[in-house]
Amino acid sequence: MLGLASPDEASQLERLLPFYPELQAAVSDFGFQVELYAIQNEAPPPSGSFSKIEDRLRELPAVVRHTGKGSNDKKGNEYIPVRESSTHIRVHKYWRIAFIVVFILSKLLLIGFIYFLIQYRHAERDLRTIQEHTNKTNLSPDAQDNDK
Amino acid sequence: MEKTITKDILKDELFSGGRPAAEVLFDRYGGMLFSYIQQFVPSRAEAEDLLVNIFSRLASRLEAAFESSLSIYCWLQIEARKIILESRPNVHSRISPQEPDTRQSERKVYYSSLLEDASPEHQWVFKELFVSGRQREELALAMNRDVAYIGDILRECMIIIRKKLA
Repeated sequence: MLGLASPDEASQLERLLPFYPELQAAVSDFGFQVELYAIQNEAPPPSGSFSKIEDRLRELPAVVRHTGKGSNDKKGNEYIPVRESSTHIRVHKYWRIAFIVVFILSKLLLIGFIYFLIQYRHAERDLRTIQEHTNKTNLSPDAQDNDK
Repeated sequence: MEKTITKDILKDELFSGGRPAAEVLFDRYGGMLFSYIQQFVPSRAEAEDLLVNIFSRLASRLEAAFESSLSIYCWLQIEARKIILESRPNVHSRISPQEPDTRQSERKVYYSSLLEDASPEHQWVFKELFVSGRQREELALAMNRDVAYIGDILRECMIIIRKKLA
């Protein structure tokens, strides 16, 4: 429990545990007592400790080295597959603000686009109406001259 | 938050995908390990550095913790001690319990406080083995005793600690 057992003692215990339930119970009970003692004596870590842990974990991706037969001969060309243990990507927190700004900006531009498109269509329609009216006005004096 | 949990419950929490393993472990065991570390290094800044080192190294090795016959916290504690002893330079302590301690008497902390009623020899042997990380053979040589004697003293210390914890 405290890491003070010698390797022989530790392996002997591991060998005996499956055969002696009372030994398992004693080990389990002591482990529980150790944990309770730790809870009673816990002290809060300094604030910011976890962010340091996160920074350290970002610097150290999980590296799995496959050591197969003949790997000693291929040290120069060793392939190290990097395995990401998390299902989520992690980006800097300022990317969230940037994403929100871009999103809002794009929506504003879209609204502006729709508004000015409608304005343009109205203007186009008004222009067409005016042109038709002008054409009609131009035609009617000719008709009057012909009548005369 | 309930601190003492079974491995199955912790496994469910870790593999639910909601939070990273390091965060789950830190929330549950960060305070416990921090006070544990302080019995090795009284300096708070150094203890924090060790805490960061320990969690960043152990978070990816949880499979070993689940396969161990020990509880998660006991496994963390044992592995944390290995990392602490690796990172610290050799601590110069008294050569033997008979020699006077010229340093200022250290506050008994954590497990050492459970041995306050034990003999000075027991306290010294436990401290040298557990906190300083010395080997039994080394202590046996320093005390002009055989290794079995050191083993007996350690066993008696563990009995005292177990009785105090129960």
